[in-house]
Amino acid sequence: MVGESKSLVDGRRLRSERTRQYIIEAYLALLRQNPRPPTAAQIAERAGYSVRSLFERFPDLLSLSLAAADYAFAQANTQAVIRNATADRDTRIRTQVETRARTCEDWLPLWRALVLNQQVSEELRLRIRRVREAIMARILLMYRPELDSVSQVERRRTLIAIEALTDFESWARMREAAGLSFEEACTVWIRAIDRLLPPTPGS
Amino acid sequence: MRRLGEGDRPPAAADAGLTVSVTSAPAVDGRRLRSERTRHLIIEAYLSLLRDSSQVPTSAQIAERAGYSVRSVFERFPDLMSLRIAATDYAFAKSTADAELRDLDGDRSTRIRSQVETRARTCEAWLPMWRALNANQGDSDELRSRVRLARELIFRRLELMYQPELSTLAEPLRRYTLIALEALTDFESWGRMRENYGLTIEEAREVWMRTIDRLLPPTPSA
Repeated sequence: MVGESKSLVDGRRLRSERTRQYIIEAYLALLRQNPRPPTAAQIAERAGYSVRSLFERFPDLLSLSLAAADYAFAQANTQAVIRNATADRDTRIRTQVETRARTCEDWLPLWRALVLNQQVSEELRLRIRRVREAIMARILLMYRPELDSVSQVERRRTLIAIEALTDFESWARMREAAGLSFEEACTVWIRAIDRLLPPTPGS
Repeated sequence: MRRLGEGDRPPAAADAGLTVSVTSAPAVDGRRLRSERTRHLIIEAYLSLLRDSSQVPTSAQIAERAGYSVRSVFERFPDLMSLRIAATDYAFAKSTADAELRDLDGDRSTRIRSQVETRARTCEAWLPMWRALNANQGDSDELRSRVRLARELIFRRLELMYQPELSTLAEPLRRYTLIALEALTDFESWGRMRENYGLTIEEAREVWMRTIDRLLPPTPSA
């Protein structure tokens, strides 16, 4: 009897989790189609649930956007495994650029929604800050040999410049406004980073 | 309408024997001038609210800041979108006037310093406006076209300032360099240096100057 009710509870929890997941994915799919934050009715319709179901899982749309941000952050981290951190300069630059480009390509709509709404929530601002810190930490890791060879002030300046260059909106302008292909846009970044980095020690 | 008497005629017109038929023109001009002034004050109020908070201000907030009624706001602007567009045009005109092209014929470091100082001033003054413009551009083709125009102007200025260096590059490398320069000197790049990294204006300019110097190819000898 106890086992039966436990599996019933587990099944219910699993279904509820799945519903929650579908709602987050519906929210993200709508953001990819249109940068304006979708309404509860649009999200519910896309997920195949009622608006009531949506608000049973998320008290308001802000909570949903926070959950979507956490989901996206986890997904992006999984996709962007650190590779070639000890390889030669060209390989490291290409690897970092391609990973960053893929992240921008996949998560730009969500990023825009987060930035647009950051004023309404300290939690959203915190997530944006965390993402930026993670980007900086990765740049530092990938270009450690070059960045370790210069003064702290110079290192910080170079980091800031590379972060600005490889920002989500910089990617968006190359793809949307300048009409560059994925490969062409990567080339812009690769060339620029190569010029921005100090010489590789021992090369 | 009051008919103008002999005393109202400007001396030159009187000397020339012209008949003054501009009845009530000064009154109309005065009214138009006041209306223009009100419009201008409303735009200024909107911009100053944007500087205080990145939230898009409401009509009540704008009216209060300008010292007029909400009705007065909507007598000058049919809706808040028209006000946003007017404020954008005002900001563009002002920032263009403030950002006069200088030192085009200077040496490499003079041109870099000059361009960075001008761009930094523009970013410092107009970042809140730019953010509001970007946040709302999805609502209006007119706003989108202004964002596009502003970006085109930024590109053209970079092309002009670094013409000697860029002319040494073949396409598409020339274009790629311009795109990278534009990304580096974007409004939000300035915003992050000042707000997130806590750089002073001078430090932030230094980041841009050194970065641009590295991105540009060597200057051809004259």
